[in-house]
Amino acid sequence: MPTFNITMSELSPWVETLKSARKTALIQDGRRKIHFTLSDGTELCEEYEIKTNDLVVRKWRRKSTLGGVKAWELEVGESDVASGMSALSLGTQQLIESNSNPVCIRRDTRRAFQWRIRNLPYPLTAYQVTVDDDKHGITIRTSNKKYFKKLTIPDMERSRLVLDSNSLTFAHANNTLIVQFKKPKAIVDDQEVLLEEFKKMKSTKDGDVECNQS
Amino acid sequence: MAAASTVNKVQEVREVTRLERIGAHSHVRGLGLNDDLEPRQVSQGMVGQLAARRAAGVILEMIKEGKIAGRALLIAGQPGTGKTAIAMGMSQAMSRDAPFQAMAGSEIFSLEMSKTEALTQAFRKAIGVRIKEETEMIEGEVVEVSVERPATGTGAKIGKLTLKTTDMETIFDLGQKMIEQITKEKIQAGDIITIDKATGKISKLGRSFTRARDYDATDSQTRFVQCPEGELQKRKEVVHTVTIHEIDVINSRTQGFLALFSGDTGEIKSEVREQINSKVAEWREEGKAEIIPGVLFIDEVHMLDIECFSFLNRLLESDMAPVLIMATNRGITRIRGTNYQSPHGIPIDLLDRLLIIATTPYSEKETKQILQIRCEEEDVEMEDQALAVLTRIGMETSLRYAIQLITASNLVSRKRKGTEVSVEDIKKVYSLFIDESRSTTFLKEYQEEFMFNEVKAASGDAVAMET
Repeated sequence: MPTFNITMSELSPWVETLKSARKTALIQDGRRKIHFTLSDGTELCEEYEIKTNDLVVRKWRRKSTLGGVKAWELEVGESDVASGMSALSLGTQQLIESNSNPVCIRRDTRRAFQWRIRNLPYPLTAYQVTVDDDKHGITIRTSNKKYFKKLTIPDMERSRLVLDSNSLTFAHANNTLIVQFKKPKAIVDDQEVLLEEFKKMKSTKDGDVECNQS
Repeated sequence: MAAASTVNKVQEVREVTRLERIGAHSHVRGLGLNDDLEPRQVSQGMVGQLAARRAAGVILEMIKEGKIAGRALLIAGQPGTGKTAIAMGMSQAMSRDAPFQAMAGSEIFSLEMSKTEALTQAFRKAIGVRIKEETEMIEGEVVEVSVERPATGTGAKIGKLTLKTTDMETIFDLGQKMIEQITKEKIQAGDIITIDKATGKISKLGRSFTRARDYDATDSQTRFVQCPEGELQKRKEVVHTVTIHEIDVINSRTQGFLALFSGDTGEIKSEVREQINSKVAEWREEGKAEIIPGVLFIDEVHMLDIECFSFLNRLLESDMAPVLIMATNRGITRIRGTNYQSPHGIPIDLLDRLLIIATTPYSEKETKQILQIRCEEEDVEMEDQALAVLTRIGMETSLRYAIQLITASNLVSRKRKGTEVSVEDIKKVYSLFIDESRSTTFLKEYQEEFMFNEVKAASGDAVAMET
């Protein structure tokens, strides 16, 4: 029993919450898809590429203050452009960003947090990417005042880590601005622990999804 | 320039009023009391009933303080003595946040919902909760709005809106409703606007300072606002009022794919309600929310039956109960669902918990004033003599009948191209439309020639009143 307690205390709070959450896993389209329900009713969905073990999608569905269900919020991954257009023509949504605008997508690699901002035609000299003074976010500015974005890294917030400006790099090519932030060791370690945990999970294969009737 | 703008404004006002239809109580704008709660003889569309109005004003003060829950009030009086008007006046005089839920006693009899459920829902619709919620807002200066019709001429319009802050610029594609809203609000380049992402509501904050030199586009009321900074999309805390019933509905919806099979919410489980109650109490303790007790108004309350009355007794004891106002025009009559007689058709134990306000029949002078107010409301010009005739009709038949004749006689006078309604017009409509008492005499006279006639008509009258 005492040894058990020690292993528990070694885990970070984030790993702890995911471990204690109710989980369902499914393997589909070469991805391991995991659905978590946290103790406060929040839903979390993660998708990992099986070959590389990279995180492709992480999205949240939180409860509103009054208890209603809100839409999925993407933290990592790309939202479906077609769904936005169809929502506009169906009238379920009244305002969407035009697809000619810059699109910011977070797509992590194993060693770094990475954002790709497409549709940004300006040269590299036009961008100014800095870590905020409070060390909790990254701000992207453009000298021609066309694009401005505050990036936050929820992973770092969850582990209560501050951002170090030395880990930040950015590059521009093919109309795309790529911002990278090197993951600190604590985050990489957590990742390894969780990956092992997920591999142990019993996951249903595509096609034989259970459909229990109540 | 100034003249042109006033002309425009007059037209706008017309448009707005035209949308509102004139209802039976649309002339009532408040209780017509001064700051000391003294009723004025004629004010805010109310005439006479001084004692009743003053009493209603005292109750209103109690509601505004919001400290006392579960009080009930009964407005009793003959038909056409302004019971509903007093209730409407109270609703108008209440603060905009406090919910006012009006219903008729017969509304609770539904095949889809039990009577107690309907009553509980009505009670919970009358309690507001003021709470902070985070919403996503888009706030920026309009750079360009473009709305295009497709080349074919028919079909959906295509709209684009370009917004900017001092740091960025974004183009948005617009849906049909948003396009309509933008055209209606006359959003143009240089305006600073906010859009609530969840509801899609646009509000204009003012015009950008950089446009302050565009003299031609400003009038005296234009406010100049600084262009916002940073990102276009912001999270903002918004305080709004929802009723407890709305929170119940949000939390009782079936989630997941089962939602497809359960259509309407129907009855709400008592467990859900208990959960919500404890949650609201928790919010209140933490200072996150504030409870605003409102008013539930049940008109024709004698239509409720004995089960409803005993359930009302129970509901009134809860500490979250709103102020209950009931109105009835019945005297001593049978309580629905029993064979017992009781004053107003309400059981004595409930009557004991009520404060009762009585309304009395209007005097001739008051009837005249009410008819005058209605003439104004219905946009009818009437000669003094015609008004005197109409008042006499109102005294002899009923006030409601006299009010009905106003617009009818106006139409008659317009047909003869008159500008004012004359005595002749009133006489004409009086002969065209018979009132209740003339109709009864007529029926008595020609009873035999109608179908299914029952000869003992005298007792038939009394039975009809009781049901």
